[in-house]
Amino acid sequence: MKPKRNLDREFSRTDPCVKLVIDKIEKENYRPDALIEILHVAQNAYGYLPMEVLSFIAKELRLPPSRVYATVTFYHLFSLKPRGDHTCLVCTGTACYVKGAQAILEELENKFHLKPGEVTCDKKLGLRTARCIEGCGLAPVVVVDEEVLSNVKPEEINDKVLAKMGVKV
Amino acid sequence: MAKVFLMIDGRQVESEPGKTILEICRDNGIDIPTMCHLDGLTDVGACRLCLVEVEGVSKLLPACTTRIQANQVIHTQTDKLKKYRRMITELFFAERNHICAVCVSNGHCELQELGYKVGMNHVHFHYLNQKCDLDASHPWYVMDHNRCILCTRCVRVCAEVEGAHHWNVMNRGVQARVISDFNTPWGESITCTSCSKCVEVCPTGALWSKQTLQGKMEKHPEKIAELMEKRKMSL
Repeated sequence: MKPKRNLDREFSRTDPCVKLVIDKIEKENYRPDALIEILHVAQNAYGYLPMEVLSFIAKELRLPPSRVYATVTFYHLFSLKPRGDHTCLVCTGTACYVKGAQAILEELENKFHLKPGEVTCDKKLGLRTARCIEGCGLAPVVVVDEEVLSNVKPEEINDKVLAKMGVKV
Repeated sequence: MAKVFLMIDGRQVESEPGKTILEICRDNGIDIPTMCHLDGLTDVGACRLCLVEVEGVSKLLPACTTRIQANQVIHTQTDKLKKYRRMITELFFAERNHICAVCVSNGHCELQELGYKVGMNHVHFHYLNQKCDLDASHPWYVMDHNRCILCTRCVRVCAEVEGAHHWNVMNRGVQARVISDFNTPWGESITCTSCSKCVEVCPTGALWSKQTLQGKMEKHPEKIAELMEKRKMSL
């Protein structure tokens, strides 16, 4: 039997993103173990996971709030903060580290005033680091949006990021 | 049921199959230090204090989650294990702020007892000196993350015995913290039933009752085993 729907109607009507989440929850038939799949849909819809959406999902799946929050914070893919329109992911795995990932991060910090995990004030660019993206032969590797940049030199990274953001240099 | 024979510390012991190494050792009076294990709760093998050597297995196995097999030869008190146990205890102390002199649990603390038991005289590691919060928003109890060792006894007792599932652990590694609900203050919790079971099972002074003086917080984690025993009987 389906559990009784206990959702805030106002919340569901105002936001088209919530529709996607509800569809996914219904498709998964309210199974609590589909939590991660549902979180993926919510993250794709919003770009991050707002607290009210987490509390909505917890309520719908009848999961304890602490379990939902623990899952979200355990996986680096999920984010509780808005991530920016463009993302720049710098690999800091062993090979990239040796080949100068730190210099690239410093260069980005000087230009955009960003530390890993932060987003610029205008929400245009977010900077993240990864342990290893398994492209060690291409080290140092930077991923801007979906594009993988290989053998990146610190002096050229800023221009490449700006070009990707559509800013004329 | 057929009995199983095995050797523990050069002594032949017999037991029913399906038990864990820790249970057999406790039944036969062999002392293995533990931290995350508590009778009445499921075991998670988180603290690694109960590691034992099993002949024929190259790695050390946690006694609390390893089931016995017939004719196993187990060593529980080798020099290597004693060294590791002392090291693990030191790591507990180095991770957060464990200053016994100002703690409510001084004298009744399982971590303190463990330190004496494994013969820890000083900490070889650098203290992390992490900045942790203290949550005193609940009307009766306090959660002091500085004294938490992440044994997750509170998490399990809340989920398994009380059924409220108020606690959980967020983040990973050194950033891991026990959280209530959506990392919201304990006092604003919608799931907590204020049953105090988490306070009773906490091995250190991380969870304690308000208005307790230094060294006056006595806890009774054995209550949980009794409770579970009574539940089984009433069924």
